[in-house]
Amino acid sequence: MADNNQPVLEIEDLSVAYVTPSGLVSAVNDVNLSIYPGEIVGLIGESGSGKSTMAYTIMRLLKGDAIVTKGRVKILGQDIYKMSRKELREFRWDKMSMVFQSAMSALNPVMTVETQIVDALQAHRKGMSYREAVARAEELMDLVRIDRKHLKSYPHELSGGMRQRVVIAIAIALEPSLVIMDEPTTALDVVVQRSILDEIKKIQEQVGFAIMFVSHDFSLVAELASRVAIMYAGRLIEITPSELLHLGEKHHPYTEGLLRAIPELTADEVTIQGIPGYPPDLQDLPSGCAFHPRCPYATDICRQVRPQKLKVEEKLIECHLFSEKEAVEHV
Amino acid sequence: MSKGPLLEVKDLVVHFPIGKGQFVRPVDHVSFSINEGEVLSLVGESGSGKSTIGKALVRMIEPAEGSILVGDRDVAHIRGREIMAYRRDAQMVFQDPFGSLNPTRTIEQHLAFPIRKHRTNRSVSVDKQIDELLEKVGLTPVSETRRKFPHELSGGQRQRVAIARALAVNPKFIVADEPISMLDVSIRAGILRLMNDLRRDLNIGFLYITHDLASARYIGNRIMVLYGGKVMETAESGELIKYPTHPYTRLLLTATPGNRQRGPLPETSNSAPNLLEGRVGCPFANRCPLVSDVCRTQDPPLVETSAGHSVACHHPA
Repeated sequence: MADNNQPVLEIEDLSVAYVTPSGLVSAVNDVNLSIYPGEIVGLIGESGSGKSTMAYTIMRLLKGDAIVTKGRVKILGQDIYKMSRKELREFRWDKMSMVFQSAMSALNPVMTVETQIVDALQAHRKGMSYREAVARAEELMDLVRIDRKHLKSYPHELSGGMRQRVVIAIAIALEPSLVIMDEPTTALDVVVQRSILDEIKKIQEQVGFAIMFVSHDFSLVAELASRVAIMYAGRLIEITPSELLHLGEKHHPYTEGLLRAIPELTADEVTIQGIPGYPPDLQDLPSGCAFHPRCPYATDICRQVRPQKLKVEEKLIECHLFSEKEAVEHV
Repeated sequence: MSKGPLLEVKDLVVHFPIGKGQFVRPVDHVSFSINEGEVLSLVGESGSGKSTIGKALVRMIEPAEGSILVGDRDVAHIRGREIMAYRRDAQMVFQDPFGSLNPTRTIEQHLAFPIRKHRTNRSVSVDKQIDELLEKVGLTPVSETRRKFPHELSGGQRQRVAIARALAVNPKFIVADEPISMLDVSIRAGILRLMNDLRRDLNIGFLYITHDLASARYIGNRIMVLYGGKVMETAESGELIKYPTHPYTRLLLTATPGNRQRGPLPETSNSAPNLLEGRVGCPFANRCPLVSDVCRTQDPPLVETSAGHSVACHHPA
């Protein structure tokens, strides 16, 4: 086991762009993020913010028209973009795995659950006999709380929640150090979602892998993760411990806007306020801080200069508002 | 808001044949009413029958039993031309703003069609009405938006076009079927607020269909919780969230993210309810933590436990 100070995942100055007929469109920009063993980190963003691109970049699953223009992704200290195909094939799923959003298309419709789990196990554990693999598959089914009899089922015979549990079972089959979950519960009903999240948390505590949980649902991530990273227009604009993720704290104006935009369930009085405008077009990003056209606090400097990341209390925030405030406080 | 009921639904039943003379009943004896300028939120999981109720209400499907009174007219079984005329009163906004607009038509064409079709006020030009509609839903500058095609708009803007199109005929009520669930979080609040403004300014009644209790509570004056095609509980929104009495409502509340007081989720199966016609007992019985023999043999009636708060359960809290 790696010692606790070495991150499982290190993303350094990562930029990813898509090649289009009208030039490069940058989807991920100068992202730095580390995830430590046993940690759950939430990655939040709207559609087009680059969160899924980032998840795919970490798995080195980017399709032909997307290229890493800058930076490195290291998992357990190894740069995955320096690996050969063979090394990558062995590394992937063994050390890092991924749970995709759509469980139906992540599973093979013409193979039973058992075959799929055994397949993943035997592909990576050369010496493992069929019998051992089935025994491990049974263990995994117990872990995600599905009746063992469903090992003989085909994906279409299972409900959406059960399918997603199977996908999770396959993802953790080889005890990876990092599991990336890309909106694993978005397509599910709330009650099923809750029970799957509870289970993820329980298994994670038992087994101890790290999770990067990609989602657009703020309240859900705040409950599950210990740290939350917020993405806007390809940049990580804030990284905050999740217990500080509420309106009483200092936040990036975008985070603040998102927090105001969600109706609270149990408050006595509910008021919500949307963020004006619409998410930006990545082909034509606003100058300076990409959020400035929608930001209520925008000033001239926001239109011209891209803000630097600053440590504000225990948070990292990329906003001029804080550099100014901090400066004022220092004087 | 002391307005009479705009719409009254009594004992609505919708069934679909599944072959061999059998039927499923996604909507089973549901009754409710909506007043002018009121929003009723219909909450339930997939398969609870909430969208089917919405479609029956705008008469995209015909109910098997029951009545839908709009004013004093029963529209449950009207046909042909009468349905066309009824669409002037009842409109629908769909979940998917990418699928509900025609990609080959401009926004202007989308709005001109219903205006021309259901024109009552000929003193105002179609052009002017389009401008007014776009302004009402906040799609300014109007002259620019009119010429655009759906693919040039974001999801939130498209949903605004869908709402403008529904407003084009000056409807009395709108069925909004999960209008925000496909939109980004920062955009959702804007659409909810728009619906709220329309309700207040134009006195339109809304049936807001959702699976999200938090938004149901924000926009809805009342919430009705559905399960397996039956009403489990209905109450004024704040009351329902604060004092839920049905085990299913409490399960939903516990499961909703962001509910800080939540306890652990009770151990229940996640099996789907039986929708076959002729089933007996409470549809929630096989998942209910409080289930007893009576639940499997007798349908619990919907009983008013306090003013405006009704629950269908043999063992309410």
